[in-house]
Parts: sequence; structure tokens; C-alpha cells
Amino acid sequence: MKLGASNTEYVNARVRSRRAKLFGDEDYRKLVRMGPSGIARFMEESEYEREINELGARFSGVDLIEYALNRNLAKHFQDLLEWSEGRIEDLIGRYLRKFDVWNLKTIIRGIYTDTPGDQIRTDLIRAGELDDRTLDRLLEVDTIEDAIEILEGTVYYEPLGDGLEEFEETGALVPLENALDREFYEHLLDDLGRPQEGPEAKYVEFLQAEIDFRNARNALRLARSGADLDPAAYYIEGGVLFEQDELSRLVTDYDELVDHIAENKRYGDRLSGALRRLREADSLIQFEHALDAALLQYSDTLSSIYPVSVSAVLSYILAKEREVENIRAIARGREVGLDESEIEEELVIL
Amino acid sequence: MTMELALAELASNVLQNGEINEAPFLEGDAAAALAVGLAAIAAGYAERGIGAAAIGAIAEDDDLFVPGLIMTVLPETIVILALVVVFV
Repeated sequence: MKLGASNTEYVNARVRSRRAKLFGDEDYRKLVRMGPSGIARFMEESEYEREINELGARFSGVDLIEYALNRNLAKHFQDLLEWSEGRIEDLIGRYLRKFDVWNLKTIIRGIYTDTPGDQIRTDLIRAGELDDRTLDRLLEVDTIEDAIEILEGTVYYEPLGDGLEEFEETGALVPLENALDREFYEHLLDDLGRPQEGPEAKYVEFLQAEIDFRNARNALRLARSGADLDPAAYYIEGGVLFEQDELSRLVTDYDELVDHIAENKRYGDRLSGALRRLREADSLIQFEHALDAALLQYSDTLSSIYPVSVSAVLSYILAKEREVENIRAIARGREVGLDESEIEEELVIL
Repeated sequence: MTMELALAELASNVLQNGEINEAPFLEGDAAAALAVGLAAIAAGYAERGIGAAAIGAIAEDDDLFVPGLIMTVLPETIVILALVVVFV
């Protein structure tokens, strides 16, 4: 934990200004009608100008869009860490470890499939706590063991080391990826305890929601796939929706699982629309989009309860991520020739 | 016993002879100075947050310089109001 005064006001002002620059409904409606080159041109005239220009010479089409999005995302989130000081930096940094986890997963998968380092490099989002040097060194190694050695001294070293044994037995990446996810989520709530009121209580509430949704998503996927996997291995602690043994029981009964989510006081109302659709259409993807939208809305509500607090930053991070994912979905959807209404279903817009 | 008697006598002597000068804890001027000073500290504290936010906004968009400046000095008004007590 970092000590010292935090400059919450400064970070908030900058974040809110950037939040206002995100694409709105109007922009999405335009984007959905464009082809990849049109989207790239549209991006060039917006926030993404610099990234598109930098990468324009090397890539084209959907790749250009995707790399520009990644790079822009990394730039903005790195900025957040640069501006903030003290407690608020600590809270933001914790959440941005998400990208460390993403990067490490990408690198491990890259090593597993023998992908050359240069190709992995373009998929990294350099926004987390791991510095560029560590990431570059990770790109050069050939085996997963060596990669884990490089991480010695970071929070990921031990969980990865534990996961490695299981990986060597089974040859599947799941234990390593789970170890990373668990490490991330369980560190989120470190030393925060259960504050009852004030901005930090809302921060905790939001993170609990995220953990709950993650658990719900995993549970629904497990229940749906009917795969014979141990639900406990996917369980993330810290949420309020499921207990571990509860989850193991619910996974076997799909309807009961949906009922359990609907009965929850905190989320039942918020997700009622999505749950109804889930019961009727059995569309898991729609439900996951609904979860994402609910989380986004949730973070927005929180940020208006305590206007000058870390909540606004979180809601910006989520909104930005969502924008990047939406644009990517549009570009990819266009590339494979989906029509407009199909693409619109893939988008998460409030 | 004798000791106690002696003490009581001493005490009564002191009480009879001692002259007590009463003076207020703060003179009017000092109280006014305190009022202005406290108001200034409060204004400074308020400006700290607003100033930080204003700089953040200006960093994102130069056009916000004037609104930012105005917002930043708004709490200064409480110091001006506090100055009134100096003249009454």
C-alpha cells in the first residue's frame, strides 16, 4: 500500500474529460455501416489518430484497427497510473493488473504454441504494473519454466509455480491461467476489509460485483457445457453471490443456478431482463453481454454517488474497454460479412 | 494541626490583599485577525481540490483555462467576507 495524499480531484477531472470523448451511440451507428478501411479512417479523425498513423505503414485492414485499439488503450491506462498519486494510484493499479494477467496469458499461450516473440508483442497491452523490460524479456524465452523464473519477485511467481506442476502433468494451460485469474481477483480486495460507507465501500462493492459476475459467467458456462470439470477450480473468492460449495451444487442444475442469481437482492432486479432472456432464448452470449452492460451501468451509478472518488476512474476504465471491444467486434464482424443487425447484437451499448 | 492553621491564615491573607485584574482572553483586534486567518485557511483548503481538478481539466482541454481560473478563486470570497469583521 502506498501512503501519502492522493490527488483524486486531478485524476477525476482528467478522466471525466476523456470519458466524454468516448464514442457515443451516434458514432456506433455510423461505424456499423462501414467496412474495415472506413472504420480506420473514422478512427484516424478521432481519439485514435496518433496510433493509426504510427501503425498505418505496417498494418492494414482489421489488424491495423486492432493494434491501434490495443495501443490506445494501453496509452490511456498508463496515463492513469502516471497521473495518480498515493492511495488512488494503489487502487487503480490493483485494477489494472488485469492487463498484466492478460499479457502473461498471451505470452504463455504464445510460448505454448511456439509463436515468434514479434507476433506476440503486437498483442500485448502494456498497461499494467509489469514494466516493458520484464515483458520484453518474457518474449525472448522459449519455455514456460523460464518465463516463470523471470517473474520471480512479482505476485504472479508463486501461483504460477504451483500451477506449473499441474500443467506438466496434464499439458493443459487451464491451471496456469486459472492461477493468474485467481491471483488477480483475490489481490483486488487485499487489505480493504469491508468498509461500511464512503468511497472505498463503493469500490469494494463494485469489485464484489465484478467477482460475482465472473463466477456467474463461469458457472453458467460450466452448467451449459455439461463438461466434467471441477467447479471449485474456477471459483473466485471475495464475492457475495456464491459460496464455494453452493456453486459446486448449483453447477449441476442449470435452472436452479439461474434462479439463484435472480433471487439475489443485489443483482436480481438489475439483471432481471437478462435473466428472462436467458431462460427463454438460452443465449449465453446475450447473457454475458447483459452482464457486461450491467457492470458498466453499476460502475456509472457508483461514480455518481461519490463524484470525486476512485469510482469515476473505474467506470472510465470499463467504458474504455467496452469501446475498444465494440469497435473490434464491428471490425471483425464486418470482415467476416455479418450484417448490421447481427453486429449490433454483439455490441454492448448502454 | 498547627501547620493547617498556618496555611489557612496565609490563604486568607492572600485573598484579602490580592488585587485581581480582569482582562479578556482576546482583544477585538486579535479576534478579527483570527477570524480572517481561519477563513483564509479554509479557502486555501477548498482551493486545493478545485485547483487540482482545474489543472486536470486544462491539461485535457486548453479552452478550460478561464473557467478553471474562475472556479479556483471562488472560495477566495469567504476571505473577503471575513475581512468585513476587521472594519466593524
